[in-house]
Amino acid sequence: MLNFNSPIKSEKNYDDLKIIEIEPTIKINLRGNKRQFSTKIGKILSILPPNEANTSSGNEKFNLLWLSPDEWLIYSNDKNISLEDQLNLEESLFNEISKLNQGAVTNVSDHWIMINLKGNKIYDLLSKSCPYNFNDFKKKNGSVAQTIVNHIDTILHNKGDNNINIFVRRSFSEDFWRWLNDSAKYV
Amino acid sequence: MSKNLRINKNKFIDQTARISFKFNNKKLYGYKGDTLASALLANDIHLVGRSFKYHRPRGIMTCGSEEPNAIVQISNDPSFTEPNVRATEIELYEGLEAFSQNCWPSVNFDLGGINNFLSPILPAGFYYKTFMWPASFWEKYEFFIRHSAGLGKSPTKPDQDLYDHQYAHCDVLVIGGGISGILSARLSAEKGLNTILIDDKKDLGGSTLYENNDIFKIDNENSNIWLKKQIEDLKKIRNLTIKNRTSVAAFHGYNYLLARENLTDHLSIHERKNKIRQRLWKIRAKKVVIATGAIERPLIFDNNDRPGTILSSSIKKYIDYYGVKTGENISLFTNNDSAYETAISLDKSGVKVKVIIDIRENSNSVLSKQIEKMGIKILRGYTVINTGGYKRIKSFDVKKLSNDGGSVVGEKITYKCDCLGVSGGWTPMVHLFTQSGGKLKFRNSDNVFIPDENKIPSEQISVGSSNGDFELDNVVNNTVKSIKVFLGLDKTNYEQLKIECSKEKQKRNIWLLPSDKPMFKTKPFLDFQNDSTAKDVKLALREGFKSIEHVKRYTTTGMGTDQGKLSNMHALGIIADSTGTNMGELGTTTFRPPYTPLTFGAIVGRNVGEFFDHTRRTAIHNWHVENKAEFENVGQWKRPWYFLKNGENMHQAVQRESKAARESAGILDASTLGKIDIQGIDASEFLNRVYTNAWSKLAIGKCRYGLMLNEDGMVYDDGVTTRLGENHYIMTTTTGGAASVLSKLEDYLQTEWPELNVYLTSVTDQYSTMSICGPNSKKIIKKLIPALDLSDENFPHMSFKNSIIDNVNCRIMRISFTGELSYEINVQSNFALNVWEKCMEAGKEFNITPYGTETMHLLRAEKGFIITGQDTDGTLTPSDLQMDWIIGKKKYDFIGKRSLYRSDTIRDDRKQLVGLLTDDPKEVLEEGSQLIESLEKKPIEMLGHVTSSYFSPNLNKSIALAIVKNGKKLKGKRLIVPMENENINVTITDAVFYDKDNERLNA
Repeated sequence: MLNFNSPIKSEKNYDDLKIIEIEPTIKINLRGNKRQFSTKIGKILSILPPNEANTSSGNEKFNLLWLSPDEWLIYSNDKNISLEDQLNLEESLFNEISKLNQGAVTNVSDHWIMINLKGNKIYDLLSKSCPYNFNDFKKKNGSVAQTIVNHIDTILHNKGDNNINIFVRRSFSEDFWRWLNDSAKYV
Repeated sequence: MSKNLRINKNKFIDQTARISFKFNNKKLYGYKGDTLASALLANDIHLVGRSFKYHRPRGIMTCGSEEPNAIVQISNDPSFTEPNVRATEIELYEGLEAFSQNCWPSVNFDLGGINNFLSPILPAGFYYKTFMWPASFWEKYEFFIRHSAGLGKSPTKPDQDLYDHQYAHCDVLVIGGGISGILSARLSAEKGLNTILIDDKKDLGGSTLYENNDIFKIDNENSNIWLKKQIEDLKKIRNLTIKNRTSVAAFHGYNYLLARENLTDHLSIHERKNKIRQRLWKIRAKKVVIATGAIERPLIFDNNDRPGTILSSSIKKYIDYYGVKTGENISLFTNNDSAYETAISLDKSGVKVKVIIDIRENSNSVLSKQIEKMGIKILRGYTVINTGGYKRIKSFDVKKLSNDGGSVVGEKITYKCDCLGVSGGWTPMVHLFTQSGGKLKFRNSDNVFIPDENKIPSEQISVGSSNGDFELDNVVNNTVKSIKVFLGLDKTNYEQLKIECSKEKQKRNIWLLPSDKPMFKTKPFLDFQNDSTAKDVKLALREGFKSIEHVKRYTTTGMGTDQGKLSNMHALGIIADSTGTNMGELGTTTFRPPYTPLTFGAIVGRNVGEFFDHTRRTAIHNWHVENKAEFENVGQWKRPWYFLKNGENMHQAVQRESKAARESAGILDASTLGKIDIQGIDASEFLNRVYTNAWSKLAIGKCRYGLMLNEDGMVYDDGVTTRLGENHYIMTTTTGGAASVLSKLEDYLQTEWPELNVYLTSVTDQYSTMSICGPNSKKIIKKLIPALDLSDENFPHMSFKNSIIDNVNCRIMRISFTGELSYEINVQSNFALNVWEKCMEAGKEFNITPYGTETMHLLRAEKGFIITGQDTDGTLTPSDLQMDWIIGKKKYDFIGKRSLYRSDTIRDDRKQLVGLLTDDPKEVLEEGSQLIESLEKKPIEMLGHVTSSYFSPNLNKSIALAIVKNGKKLKGKRLIVPMENENINVTITDAVFYDKDNERLNA
């Protein structure tokens, strides 16, 4: 088996703030707009794709984030999901959706890096360089935002209780990580 | 030894915390809570700087951001120093060092002071008129002008302080912590609205905070006591954020505001370490309350600028708030009741005011009567006509005003003094209101511009003095009334307040007070910083400048760092009086951000040094670093440019890498190419419309090169797209074009072709790509993936195979950008580093050589392959690039097709891509060089330019690509590349220099 090499591999703790990379996790991009598409997703993942903008649905295993009227992102809660299980899930979705022309299934596990932020100061930290209004976002568990943080495209998922997952493109992740840690010093 | 003018202990200044500081290298002391200005005044120092033009001695004139004179240079450390800091705004800290500006050798003896004596020949417009002739002298003038221009000195080393930014969103933003701001914030927060209150001072309360006078009462308590309780209650409200030491710099449209918070400027140097100095708040507010108050106006009379001439309300603040008397022999000069309040405050502190000169004939207000009871002499209907002294006011002359106020009559009376308080009424601070798009109206009764209630941008309101309310009862009652409507409140606790205050009964305003001398012999200053006088304004009018904007620029009135906060109204008034125009018709100059100066540090925030710009790294980046790669910026990506080995320079490294790639094997990190996953039943049709060539018949497992055009038919991007399945493709784009291509294609799908069932997903970061090229590439791949059948029959050029490397899926594409036999491995990025290392290991016996973008460019140029963006510039069609073969002429349509057949795009003499060979094979042309036919024929026609140029180690000669007018027909023609020191002869050739028959692809 090849060596897995995520870009950050680190965990940092600050006063009331914890920042950690959570990898590997499977991430799959879903696109589709037919009714059968949603039904298939529900059947395979036991979750229906949310229709309301900037929300998510989920169960113990997976989260399904709304990205646009015809686009969602699945990611697993299980950090230790095996590569084989990842492939099986991807294949199952691909065969049921892409191959039947009911939408598009694309593995983006390595496209996005997931960073978890916990603590009372996470929104102060993000607001240093994110124009997004977190006032409603932080009140609602499962809310999703696609915004820029320090000029970098990100997807934010509110897990509740000052706990959020941030998805950032792999190529930007080291820069992003450095910025997070620099800014955390001055929150 | 300087005098100590600190007169009492008070609750605002901590007189147990003594602070030492230096002013012009002299060690002085102040207290915690002092500003530099209050500490200097406590040490009886008034002379702080010199004016810009005449170098006249100038002293502290105000106590706030409107200060025009007391601007100083902080520190002489080349990285820490800051010019133009207002002494009235900077809080005293241990170790503060401040220096006077615009003087040499010292503020006490300034050689530039000679300008004051030359002032009769230096009126407004002097520069414009004088330095125009003779034209050839300009460079000589310029030397002196540049030397004398500007105030203060810029730091010469990088700023060592830290700055950052913070976004905030709130329901209500209240600007100003005076009584109206406090009431507004409290009403808003108590309604449950998420509220931010911003104030530029360290303490909330504005001037009411230190207004301890029985005349001003709210609910039977002195107004300061009542307000203090309000502030204490305010601080307990949870949904209210109070930001002290924060100044709103800009109010943009739709309630977007910028505010600078000073976090450490009041701390001693050692306390500041590793702390953010200033934070720029970027605030989006649903509603904004402007409660910025008003500033006092000076009065305009002859020599009204001598140090010791201070605004009356500032004298009051210095005595009531800082416990500092601004002189020992103080008189006041006023046109309204405000100076009476100052006189009462001074009297309470044991400082007897000698005389109050009031231009009004009568005043029977409560304050006026109180002054009379105190036995302070008032000269009514008089005006100050001149002042005496040089570095400090020593006396002033008064005369009786004529009935119309246009001249003076009677005997001159001279009073000695060391401080003259002046009060010319109040100007509402409407700067932020107008910045946001609000329009002003003129109120004739008291000569003020106030927000026009019919022209207020939505979701904002002005209250208190900034809205033209100057009496305490009006301020409180109107603020409560307005906020109630603005926030939709049913009732408030402030509607039945019992308010007692003095009501000013008489008003008299004279913009330019008369003198007993002819105008040309007087110096009535309007703009104290820029030394523009009432004479200058009148001169501008005589010379035909009518618009206030023109007068401003001609005289420089209002163009200093104070942005005319004290001068603009008087300038307008004098213009109105001189031209017989109503001030409301004149309008105001434009108020532009920032309201108070912003440091560059605050604007930039943390985006300095390593955070200046982003860096995108491939998954193999660290390997490149360890192997001595020099990097090239491509978009935001860091791409290996070349790899240095054994003391090579760039040229040697590129030559070595190029030879290795042609002779054995090279490996390139191509991960940065954009990758778009395309799925959907109409994917083939989509590609047909996007690219110029045909895609329907591309077999699954095959790859094809495509050229994408703009709607104008010009080449936009290119790349290889691979058919992974019946309705599944993966497209590659150029590195720099990835984001824009995806955006453009998504735009087309959503707006132009909604009927197509196609989905796009960016996978640029999902897959890393390593390209192995060269005659031994096949052997390396074979070692890496023994199970893969690499025969030409099974795996021909322009095809792909799914494969597995150590249980990890990967895609192998047989495509080439070098003209060599090449394979590209695409693998999930988190496994890419390991795959790269395995490639290096497998290729070791073949001397596999990592190469960078420079070698890649060279190798492809040998083959005549274009690089979009280098060999194209948005003006070239496929035909111009001699790529007619890629246009599917039978295709119904594709983006840009129609434009390819316009008369201009089918012209024969368009610029076209060609190859160039130099006569001297060792001579490498400079990219961008122009190409000409002859040096004889003038004007010389530029036929084109060199787009790519290299020395090819494989051909042992210099090669270049160029675009040349009518190039297709000029093969064999000799042209000239004119350079600075030589003219280089070149010959136009075919653009393909190497392996024209593509034999090496299958070698």
